[in-house]
Amino acid sequence: MVTRHFPLVIILVIVGLALLLPLFLPWTYDQIDWNAVRAPAFSSSHILGTDELGRDRLARLASGTQITLMVAMAAALVSLLVGIAWGATAGWVGGRVDEAMMRFVDGLYALPFMFIVILLMVVFGRSILLVFIGIGLVEWLTMARVVRGQVMSLKERPFILAAEAAGTPPLMIVIRHILPNIAGVALAYLMLTVPQVVMVESFLSFLGLGVQEPLTSLGILVKEGADDMDMAPLGLLLPGGLLVVILVCLTIEGERLRDHFS
Amino acid sequence: MLALIIRRLMTAIPTLLLIILASFFLMRLAPGGPFDGERPLDPETQAALQQTYGLDKPLWEQAWLYVSRLAQGDFGPSLVYRDFTVSELVAQGLPISLTLGGLAILLALVIGVTAGLCAAVQAGKMVDKSIMMLATVATALPTFVTGPALALFFGLWMGILPVSGTGNGLSWLVMPVVALALPVAGAIAKLTRAGLATVLQQDHIRTARARGLPETKILFKHGLRPALVPVASYLGPAAAGLLTGAVVVETVFGLPGLGRYFVQGALNRDYPLVLGVVTLYAGLIILFNLFADLIYGWLDPRMREG
Repeated sequence: MVTRHFPLVIILVIVGLALLLPLFLPWTYDQIDWNAVRAPAFSSSHILGTDELGRDRLARLASGTQITLMVAMAAALVSLLVGIAWGATAGWVGGRVDEAMMRFVDGLYALPFMFIVILLMVVFGRSILLVFIGIGLVEWLTMARVVRGQVMSLKERPFILAAEAAGTPPLMIVIRHILPNIAGVALAYLMLTVPQVVMVESFLSFLGLGVQEPLTSLGILVKEGADDMDMAPLGLLLPGGLLVVILVCLTIEGERLRDHFS
Repeated sequence: MLALIIRRLMTAIPTLLLIILASFFLMRLAPGGPFDGERPLDPETQAALQQTYGLDKPLWEQAWLYVSRLAQGDFGPSLVYRDFTVSELVAQGLPISLTLGGLAILLALVIGVTAGLCAAVQAGKMVDKSIMMLATVATALPTFVTGPALALFFGLWMGILPVSGTGNGLSWLVMPVVALALPVAGAIAKLTRAGLATVLQQDHIRTARARGLPETKILFKHGLRPALVPVASYLGPAAAGLLTGAVVVETVFGLPGLGRYFVQGALNRDYPLVLGVVTLYAGLIILFNLFADLIYGWLDPRMREG
């Protein structure tokens, strides 16, 4: 169990550390230690050293991971809700409506959507709330396609036909009989959406359009590290490495779950 | 095929128009304007500038003016790089972005298809598992991490590749292209592997084997072509991803491509510049999708439309 789900274990450890560490560290993520600017790793009270402003690296990593994962989960939930609503409607109603709705999704797939998100961020200021609504609204497309496919195949199954024959209202059938049956697949794709969202959030933060100071996220930490990498390579390698580990583990678990359900 | 091309180009026009209008109004909803400098301009100068660039007219009229000028190939003047028109800026940036994107997708195809092929031939063995593991890791590598990390290792520590700019022959291309290509290569490797795994089970392959054709001929002539169909349909989204990645790579490596102009333009409220870049990007993606569909038809004749 532990060896098979090694990636999941790593994720849980990272989440646990990100949540618990700030409670025990003597420094907060935005606190400046004037006596230890650019402190090397393992120096007195800074286990991973400090950055060019004297802020504790470990505290910033923990806080950045928290924010990144929080934004990712919220945005993935937005994409789940929009995707299920869109996909289930298209799949259930079928015919012309289905065709129009899925054409729309196909069209959006091909668009330079990231650029619209960048515009959105520029336009509506850079609040965290908007970051994840914006990202969620971009990442729902795959979910809609998957849910539609599932609903289409369920629709012809005897138990659904029976429910229809018994006069159950359509909305009730979708909620009571269809949604519970697609929960597994939806969960798998939700897990695959999370790394996508993490990537988009970090990308926006990297460009300075996502989460704003004094809050921090892994994307911001990578950006700060990249700007200062000739002086302090750790500042880039630690958040970059952590981000890649999170992305890889989430992808592996998500793909396993998807293969399990399909 | 001609019919397909014509039909696609017909739907491309309303799509482009929609994108242009959406970006136009989004841009204008943003607070602030292109002439808000450090030092506020006096109201008269501000009004004169607004008038020169037609920003005092009603929004709808401006949108109409913009689209009708665009139809004649005029992207308008840049509001921030005052001495340049958007067309001039784009003409500088486009070759760089196209070179980056084009080389990245070629590299990704070469690495991805080769890796997928090796994995499929060795299906179930150690080689297969390690290649697939590497492919998964590669797909999860964001360009904004690989870019700076590559620059740190090969640029700063080993000093064999330039960290920024476009000098020094062609060596400046290496790191940006690799950073861009890695995630795409991983995805292509997975798709090729999955495609080949299904194709190699099919009857025509068994027939070819039974007739005693050499294994390499079976693989390359009968196996690879249908197996690449999913890869072809991935090329459209891949192109969109590469353009996004190019924004980061151009920022990280200080390359004067389109992506940099886009980010700078959005931050400075340089309306015509942003619209010009978005229009161009959308056009490129639409063209690339058409191209991918043509490859699709070539790979799988059943998909060809009359």
